Amino acid sequence: MSTFSPPSPLLTVSAPPHAHCGRTTRGLMAETLFALAPAAIMAVLVFGLPALRVMALSCAVAVICETLCARAMAGTPAVDDLNALVIGLLFAFLLPASAPWWLVAAGSATSVVLGKMVFGGLGGSPLCAPLVGWAVCKLSWKGAMDYDLSMLSSSLTSPLAQLKHLGPQAVAGISLQDLLLGQQLGGLGAVQVAALLAGGAYLLIRGRLRPHIPLAFLAGTFLTALIYFYLDPAACAPPLFHLLAGGAVLGAFFLAPDCSSSPVGHVPMIVFGLLAGCLVVVIRVYGVYPDGVPFAILLAELLTPLVDRIRPRPLGVG
Amino acid sequence: MGATWKELTKGLWREIPPFRLVLGLCPTLAVTKTADNGLGMGLAVIFVLTLSNLAVSALRRLIPAKVRIACFIVIAATLVVGVELLMQAFAYPLYQRLGIFVPLIVVNCIILGRAEAFASRNPVHLSVADGLGMGLGFTLSLTLLGALREVLGYGTVFGLCLFGPGFKPFSFMIEAPGAFVCLGLVLAGMNALTNWQRKRQGLAAVEGPGHDCKSCGLCAADKK
Repeated sequence: MSTFSPPSPLLTVSAPPHAHCGRTTRGLMAETLFALAPAAIMAVLVFGLPALRVMALSCAVAVICETLCARAMAGTPAVDDLNALVIGLLFAFLLPASAPWWLVAAGSATSVVLGKMVFGGLGGSPLCAPLVGWAVCKLSWKGAMDYDLSMLSSSLTSPLAQLKHLGPQAVAGISLQDLLLGQQLGGLGAVQVAALLAGGAYLLIRGRLRPHIPLAFLAGTFLTALIYFYLDPAACAPPLFHLLAGGAVLGAFFLAPDCSSSPVGHVPMIVFGLLAGCLVVVIRVYGVYPDGVPFAILLAELLTPLVDRIRPRPLGVG
Repeated sequence: MGATWKELTKGLWREIPPFRLVLGLCPTLAVTKTADNGLGMGLAVIFVLTLSNLAVSALRRLIPAKVRIACFIVIAATLVVGVELLMQAFAYPLYQRLGIFVPLIVVNCIILGRAEAFASRNPVHLSVADGLGMGLGFTLSLTLLGALREVLGYGTVFGLCLFGPGFKPFSFMIEAPGAFVCLGLVLAGMNALTNWQRKRQGLAAVEGPGHDCKSCGLCAADKK
């Protein structure tokens, strides 16, 4: 019995794709970091050195945790794709400047390990990683996560907490310009609205972010707030206030369009954005917590598999 | 004797109920806030499971096949009422802490599952061994899970303080989501351990879930 051995290959064809546009995860993450940079700088300007301390610690812990997890999990792709850095920075953006070191470290580690690595690493998570860390910390250490604690070292106030506890009259005097420039108490980067808008616009122009989710999110927030404001102007804050106070802009441009946990199709993305935006205002109006952005996005992300079933009909079928 | 021993020990590791069979998750998630809650629940289940296996096995030729489920539930319910009265008499604080989950032992999947899958087909001594083994496995799992959550959530084990006053309790672990996360991590750890053992024996690792997961839409959509 003769065995047939193939001749040495003259033409080797590698597996497709053969043409590559040059985009990499690392490049995408680097551009996201670049887009987040203005907000980080603004955070240091507004909140001082404690903000830098929180952001640096959060990023360092995220990268260390990712490296350790990648070591423990055989066959995990490289860790140098900067994703851990983005997660760490986004998590820090949700914290108050007064966050103690153990809170930052525990939350950042939870974000990376529980929000990303247990699902198999990059792209496997059904939830936005920094929000997982935020939710766990918020449930565990309510006091340390309270933005009002940083009132001791700052003359600013938290507009959403005032709206919750004192009613819309208390926030009527806050100018929208102050809100835009981050003159409000809240998450470190989450309240740097103008800087985040600039970063989001940069990502949109560079084509790194599709406009569906951010715009639908903002539209959902605005329209829902408008309905509440129209129904009872005395009991609800104006819609522009809801857009600019708290973390709505951070959620719209950086948290909701998370690659692994948001829908893929055009219509699903719009539905997802509208839903999350609508939930933000609903939670702010009825909920226990002043700001509803993280919970709204987490809830909408749980519906992603369902929303993704809205698909275009294949050509020639039905 | 060998067969009885085999039925007794299979519930302790190979088919340990919440972690291998993934049955009886309702009490596993709900009453494991502390280690002694888990232990108390486990003891109640041992009592009910062993006696229900005994009764079902002894009556297996009398129970008509068509109404067997109803009969199993009547037997389990009778025993649960007994356990409830005993707990009210001798362990009232525990009974108050476990609350609705004591009566709910009636509909615990393990009781009905062992009655249907084992006790109604096997002789009495094997069924008692099976019930006792499964109950012990269930108790160990609940105590382990309860101890894990108690250490992280309160900083104590069986009420003993482990850390100093500087400890900031990780309250997430004693909330409902913490139960799911903790159970998931323990399951992942069990699978990792199994694969490590198989690797040492020179067998291929088991990839993915062992059970049928068609009903979940998350990855089934990709497989189509």
